[in-house]
Amino acid sequence: MTDTRLIHTVGVGAMEWLWTHRDGFRLEPDADPEVGFLERFKPVGELALVCKVLFREGVAGSRQAQLARQLLDHVWRETLDGGTMLVRGQRTEPASPIPFEVYLPFRELGYSRPEVERAVVLNHRLDSWQAFEATPTRRLGLSAFQRRFGLTPRPSESEALRTTWLARTPEPWTVEGHIAYDITHCVFHLTDWGENPEGLTPDIAGYLATWLPAWIDDWLDLKRWDLLGELLVVDACLPRPTLDEPAWQAFAAAQQPDGAMPAIRTMPEGDPEAVFDIVYHSTLVAAFASVLATSRALTELARVR
Amino acid sequence: MEQSGTSTLLQGAVQDLASGVVSALRGGDHTRSVLPAGTDGEAGDLALAAVRVLGSDALLPALLLRTPPDPAEVAVFRKAVEAYPPRADAAPTVRWSHWGMARTLRRVDPSVTAGPPDEPGTGWLDEAGWQTLTHQLAVLAPLALPGEDCAVSRLAGCHPVDVARGFVRAVRRRDWRQAAGAGRWLTLLPAVPDTVGLASGLDFVELMGGQDPLVALHVQAARLMRSGARV
Repeated sequence: MTDTRLIHTVGVGAMEWLWTHRDGFRLEPDADPEVGFLERFKPVGELALVCKVLFREGVAGSRQAQLARQLLDHVWRETLDGGTMLVRGQRTEPASPIPFEVYLPFRELGYSRPEVERAVVLNHRLDSWQAFEATPTRRLGLSAFQRRFGLTPRPSESEALRTTWLARTPEPWTVEGHIAYDITHCVFHLTDWGENPEGLTPDIAGYLATWLPAWIDDWLDLKRWDLLGELLVVDACLPRPTLDEPAWQAFAAAQQPDGAMPAIRTMPEGDPEAVFDIVYHSTLVAAFASVLATSRALTELARVR
Repeated sequence: MEQSGTSTLLQGAVQDLASGVVSALRGGDHTRSVLPAGTDGEAGDLALAAVRVLGSDALLPALLLRTPPDPAEVAVFRKAVEAYPPRADAAPTVRWSHWGMARTLRRVDPSVTAGPPDEPGTGWLDEAGWQTLTHQLAVLAPLALPGEDCAVSRLAGCHPVDVARGFVRAVRRRDWRQAAGAGRWLTLLPAVPDTVGLASGLDFVELMGGQDPLVALHVQAARLMRSGARV
């Protein structure tokens, strides 16, 4: 079993880096219409989801919890302009689910923007929203978010789950990068981002317990830290997490002294904004994996005692 | 350079021999001898060395198709067993490979009256993780034969999930020889997780790596064993 301190330290460093580089969470109001204004919302939504996990698990140190709160306040006030940018995004692309996806974790953390909520309720009534073409895993995520918002998911989560890759427990040797991300995100949605590990059905949990070690070994060997971090999150969501020692040690060793986690192999160099765009996700994932794995390690300790 | 040339020659001889075994396994053509008839001179030395490298799989058609091997082939095989005893400091896989050949020789050559050789130990795998275990088992894939018990096969039988993970790892790494060897073991092990999709997995390994006769050999052996072939 991996040293809990090592796991915890990865998250502490990641939060420090995210706080130091908070200005990287930025929108582009004048984005090329071909790219779209909403493209840059994703990092903000991911930050809120991970910070929510951090508060919920309650294993973060006081400094980490304080940084998480400051970061959330910063992106809500500065980046989202108190939610105004979400409203603007919604008005730019009324049928897009992105403002809803970004808003939900903020709402759960106590932030509020009633105009966004009215749009969500209206959109939810539209056949267009139900017919919105998305990958099966994203579809599952949208249904889960509708439930979390208090709406009846359309389609239901069990129906959405059926068409995902993971639900069919296919041949594990076919997994490559894109499929692996589908697997990790399917697990995030099924467990409400680690909050409800029992959201994994026994057959999916058993399938993951059998094959996850092979995938972790592989992406560790390839030094794909972003994906490895997500796989370590999946491990922490299993009924009996392995907290794989070689993987955690290498993951921790890959982290930079300032807390940044390279996405693949080593840190990129160049323009700070470009570097942020490459490594913010892997660094967020490092914080996410750290807090969930720390929590599970402490739970195991309590059980042993 | 000479050494490298010899090594290339030997690799070529092993590939040729493996191709012959694969043809025999596929076609059930028992009339054609797989092993070279003559073992005199330099070419003979090379042929013997190739038989030693392939191990007991050199006589796999005789074992799996249950047909009596050509006495001339048995003689060559016996010569290879006797010409290359493992050295005192040989790696465990080398010792086991030789042990497997001696076992096969006893089965096919009635003139061998000596008792079964002592099994080498499996201690070197006691602490092995699933990655190393699978790699070593794949090297010893010629020991994966239906109904043929030994300490290595008993050890493999205790680790079906580990070997299945190793199969997945080998496929992901495009290590087709290891994947084929691990797949061959999996056909014999109890309690292999269904989700591994072994039948398609073996087809995939053959599709991707089957131009290597050593890969094709294990895949074909696995197919025959899956269809109920016994030794």
